[in-house]
Amino acid sequence: MIDTKRPPEDVRREIVMLPHDGEELALHIWRPQEIKGAIFYFHGLQSHAGWLWEVGPQFADNGIALFVLDRRGSGISTGARSEIPGVETVIADYVTAIEHTRRTIGDGVPLSLFGHCLGGSFLAALLHHPDFTTRYDSAVFCSTWLGRLHALLGEEERAALAAEQSEELWDAGLKATDFTDNPGYQHFIDTDVLAVRELTRRSRATLLGLERLYLEPQRELPVVPYVFASGLTDPIVNLDATHRVFTEMVSGRGTIIKFPTAEHYLFYTEARRSVVDWASAFAILQDPDRHV
Amino acid sequence: MGSLHWKDHWNTRRDPFTTECRDGRENLLTDLKDPKATQQRVLADIIDICADSLHWKERGYDRVATDPESFRSVLPVMRYSDFSDEIDREARTKGGVLSCSPVLRWLKTSGTTGTPKRVPYTLHWLLTYRIPAMQAMWGTYLEYHPEILAGPYATLDTQTVREVVDDYLHGVRYQAVSNRYPQINSRDWNPPWAESPWFGIEAPSSHSGRMYHRIRHLVGQELQFISAINPSTILALRDLVAEHGPALVRDLRAGTLEGRPFGEPDHETAQHLEKVLAMGAFTLTDVWPSLKLYSCWLSASAGLYQSKLDAVLPGVRRMPFMSCGTEGVTTIPVDDSADSQPLAINQAFFEFVPADVPVDELIASGGRIDTLLFDELEAGRDYSLIMTQGNGLYRLWSGDIYRVDRIVDGVPWIHFVNRFGIFHSFTGEKITEAQFSQAIENTREAHGLGNGLYLAGPQWAEVPYYVVVSETDDPRPELDSALSDAVDRELQEINIEYASKRDSGRLRPLRVFTVPTDAIAAYTESRRHATNATQYKYKPFQQDADFVTDLVSH
Repeated sequence: MIDTKRPPEDVRREIVMLPHDGEELALHIWRPQEIKGAIFYFHGLQSHAGWLWEVGPQFADNGIALFVLDRRGSGISTGARSEIPGVETVIADYVTAIEHTRRTIGDGVPLSLFGHCLGGSFLAALLHHPDFTTRYDSAVFCSTWLGRLHALLGEEERAALAAEQSEELWDAGLKATDFTDNPGYQHFIDTDVLAVRELTRRSRATLLGLERLYLEPQRELPVVPYVFASGLTDPIVNLDATHRVFTEMVSGRGTIIKFPTAEHYLFYTEARRSVVDWASAFAILQDPDRHV
Repeated sequence: MGSLHWKDHWNTRRDPFTTECRDGRENLLTDLKDPKATQQRVLADIIDICADSLHWKERGYDRVATDPESFRSVLPVMRYSDFSDEIDREARTKGGVLSCSPVLRWLKTSGTTGTPKRVPYTLHWLLTYRIPAMQAMWGTYLEYHPEILAGPYATLDTQTVREVVDDYLHGVRYQAVSNRYPQINSRDWNPPWAESPWFGIEAPSSHSGRMYHRIRHLVGQELQFISAINPSTILALRDLVAEHGPALVRDLRAGTLEGRPFGEPDHETAQHLEKVLAMGAFTLTDVWPSLKLYSCWLSASAGLYQSKLDAVLPGVRRMPFMSCGTEGVTTIPVDDSADSQPLAINQAFFEFVPADVPVDELIASGGRIDTLLFDELEAGRDYSLIMTQGNGLYRLWSGDIYRVDRIVDGVPWIHFVNRFGIFHSFTGEKITEAQFSQAIENTREAHGLGNGLYLAGPQWAEVPYYVVVSETDDPRPELDSALSDAVDRELQEINIEYASKRDSGRLRPLRVFTVPTDAIAAYTESRRHATNATQYKYKPFQQDADFVTDLVSH
């Protein structure tokens, strides 16, 4: 378990560039000297690994190796900005990065998949895709509105969106104040030169396609612990709606947990330490050797 | 007097702090006994933390991981500006570009171009190098003067501060190396006095306000040790007692701090302070008869302050401060020697180049730079320093020049001589010729004066300052005054250390004197005849202020 009687970890922070399908994908890693568990993190629409400069070292200090892929076109990965490629490309990028992660940590280390906001929708889609075969030991959906487009758009609107080919930019309309009430973090979000704030309209068709993968599942999920985590409330996520989708998706086996904040981006709130500690313990406890 | 939590903290930290510092000193002494193995260990550690970084992999430098001996032939000597692009990238990713350690904060320090530098403060650097260096130095202080931890009021530490940071680089705090707030982890710098009310974030952030709080808290107490970096800080402390003496007496009598409730009235200390103030030329030992020790930089130009220090600290013993900059630590005191200290053998991988080699030109032209290792130096010679630090800034030529005083057990004992390109530095402001030129040119342009010759120089005084004589068609006192204010402001904008020293009263405002057009040209010409006619040329930056007397009549 987490060793609390020792000096701070001399955490390593590495960036591995994974060449895949014509692009260089940046896999960011914060890792302790001895890896007791690993978390693979799916960032949201606007963010990237550079948002986790405090979270990464804290996870690693708990014995957790944190892996974060800058999605194609996000962070320091190459690829067209403001563009989410087709569903199969998105899935293939994650399959590649998570296979690399599992090879890096070895079979004996429990691996937890952690999707934040839109990243949770990418995670849910990946879990249901037949190409994803890497073993994972738990999954966390954090402040994600699962099935958001299906909840907000009618059938005809969804059909129109699915056929969208336009490269016209669509403003996601995200405000820093939706993420956190901390002025320092708000300033960072507002001035982050790597943030993605707009998407092509055809990218939204990809998001719809990804939702279909888990709303119309073609395969069963493995029996591992699933958790939905959020603040007590969330300014941009309908928690009741997403809890329903989550519960159905994991066949009633999921846990719902709330942290004491009303903000969306838990890592930029007072709850950060609690979220990191809980997620660390949760990941480590799924060690395959622990089952009795 | 509010919460006494700080005293609990002092009592809790006293013994662990003593142990940590003594361990730091012992580790340094052990490493100094085997300097070659220590340098090899440091280089191996730096290669280990950097070889997998993006920059090293992209440039192919990672191949030195299997051949450390090739380090000097594979990696180039660099100026700070050569790292600019990589530092931009590192600022966005917060680690992984220059080294494989998380960047916890960015250190801000004056740059030669007027733009503050950004030095990555990484977790590995903190744990392995920067904090152990502090501990080793304080270990030496404690070895020689254990009384500095005699009680919660025994030490006034002005080396470091704890101030709320409001400047950020891509979300990460951007602050002076001397600001130790917030504490990053349990191994970060945490002296017993860290929570003292005159040391913490509740103290005013202005220099004079903070100093007043320090004095108010400590006057009447058994203060034994004043620790500073620059000697001017200690002199300013005495001046501040003189300037604010009546207010201090009032606060002591009323039991207040700047008029606000503080504690019980202290008539005895008030009376004592009144007597001291009435003496006029009082010393800090008059204020604190218990004072036994002070520490600050004592060598090179700092040594010019020695007579002033002797005057305000009669009979008080002294210890040196380490030679260091934001970029890294170069020497650490292991005894009370004022003139020289051993190379901080476990702090960086050190290389040297004879001081007469134009390193900057060779870097710019891509010329070959042959460096010497620590065991190839000769006593009595000056060398430019090239450091490879554990934060990823490798083979960095800072322009600092050190003199080797002697070799002890294979380790060079050195002291800082000067910095390449620096015009002058009274008290750590390190003003470059480029910065000074920019301030003058900006001011002349803003006042519609166009180009003109000028001379600039340092004016030593109780509180020193800079003087400028500048040519104009219409010299007059009103213009002198306007230009003085403007150049002073410009220089504060360009050089944050100058601004800090001006703010704290350690430097007086700069003065500009206007003289008629061609006056400086004529003066320069007269000097040509007076000295070597073939070698004398117009040099705007003078080493003293004698030219003012020669040129200024009003």
